[in-house]
Amino acid sequence: MTEQIVIVTLLTFLVISVVGIIVLRNLLAAVILLGLYSLVAAGAFVVMDAVDVAFTEAAVGAGISTILLLGALSYTTHVQKPQKHNNYAALLFVTVTGALLIYGSLDLPGYGSATSPVQAHPEVGRRFIDESILETGVPNIVTSVLASYRGYDTLGETAVVFTAGIAVLSLLGRRRRLTRDEHSNSTDEEDLV
Amino acid sequence: MLFIVNTLSWILILVGSVFLVAGAVGLIRMPDLYTRLHAASVTDTGAMILLLSGLMLQAAFVFQNPLALIKLFLILFFTLFTAPTASHALAKTALLGKLMPKDSAGNDLLPSADHVRQLADSSRPDP
Amino acid sequence: MFTAATLAILATMLLTIVRALLGPSIYDRILAVNSFGTKTVLLIAVFGFLTGRPDFLDIALVYALVNFVGTIAVLKFFEYDDLGSGAYQDDDF
Repeated sequence: MTEQIVIVTLLTFLVISVVGIIVLRNLLAAVILLGLYSLVAAGAFVVMDAVDVAFTEAAVGAGISTILLLGALSYTTHVQKPQKHNNYAALLFVTVTGALLIYGSLDLPGYGSATSPVQAHPEVGRRFIDESILETGVPNIVTSVLASYRGYDTLGETAVVFTAGIAVLSLLGRRRRLTRDEHSNSTDEEDLV
Repeated sequence: MLFIVNTLSWILILVGSVFLVAGAVGLIRMPDLYTRLHAASVTDTGAMILLLSGLMLQAAFVFQNPLALIKLFLILFFTLFTAPTASHALAKTALLGKLMPKDSAGNDLLPSADHVRQLADSSRPDP
Repeated sequence: MFTAATLAILATMLLTIVRALLGPSIYDRILAVNSFGTKTVLLIAVFGFLTGRPDFLDIALVYALVNFVGTIAVLKFFEYDDLGSGAYQDDDF
């Protein structure tokens, strides 16, 4: 019972923080609230027993992406431009996409359902539970799937994320060097004056 | 024995919960950032110590889970270092950002923005 | 007992979110988010005991540290308006 209350409350917090992000014109405040959104989502994931997802959400959502967005904001203005015209086409597109996603979610098995296709399959779950420790030597079954059975997939994902990180860092780093040079030039001029 | 432990952790956890809510109400009602910082510290350290002590008692005597006890202790240990550090950094950054301290009526407590910044680095000579 | 603590933490989280939405200054929002992170740590810890499985406490431990590092990084950004090498530090202050 309490578990349901906690989950519903956390999801309500999620909605509140998203509405705040949409309404606020100050981009810095929106970035900070995005960190709060990630914390709420991570809390909800822990409560729903998806600890690995929660861990990723906290590290990436609340940690890295907040810092990356702030780094990006330091090169631009901190306030969103007021909108000049109403974008009804975009609103329609977003509404239709959202409705389709909700329609798709109706087919998903219920939360914690024991009769979902994954759980009801006669062999797969049993096999991982019985054999994964013998085959891979990893005590955690989820980790054994992620890092051993589909290890190449995970390696590919890691390579993609790593490449993206390198690209962002190289872009930001190059820009910083330029501004620093301009900065030192300007102080030189002031000294001359 | 178990009765004593349960009563003690009941008291600790309930008092910690009261601290939590009181600090959160302070976070809403205090007039400016610096007083809100004080209210938030009540939840960040005071309530943290009480609640985690209650949980540690439960982990040690009711659940008999030494690993959980050690983890709770580590959480408490790190929080007691990180929460005051974060509060200090936040206050210092706000002073450097010239955020004016205000009293409950909304009046400025310092004559000018430069005085605010001066509070942040007392080691530096006067401008 | 754990239920009472969980409800208290949820109420605290709600008030903290209200402060994060109200602002008014950016530092108030940072304070609220930092405080919210501490509440998340507490919620995970208490919830583990509520369900009788205090096994996820190491996640709470990691959250406490990530929250601290994140707050310090954001504050560094506001102090120097830059996250990088600290090239402006000596010029500005």
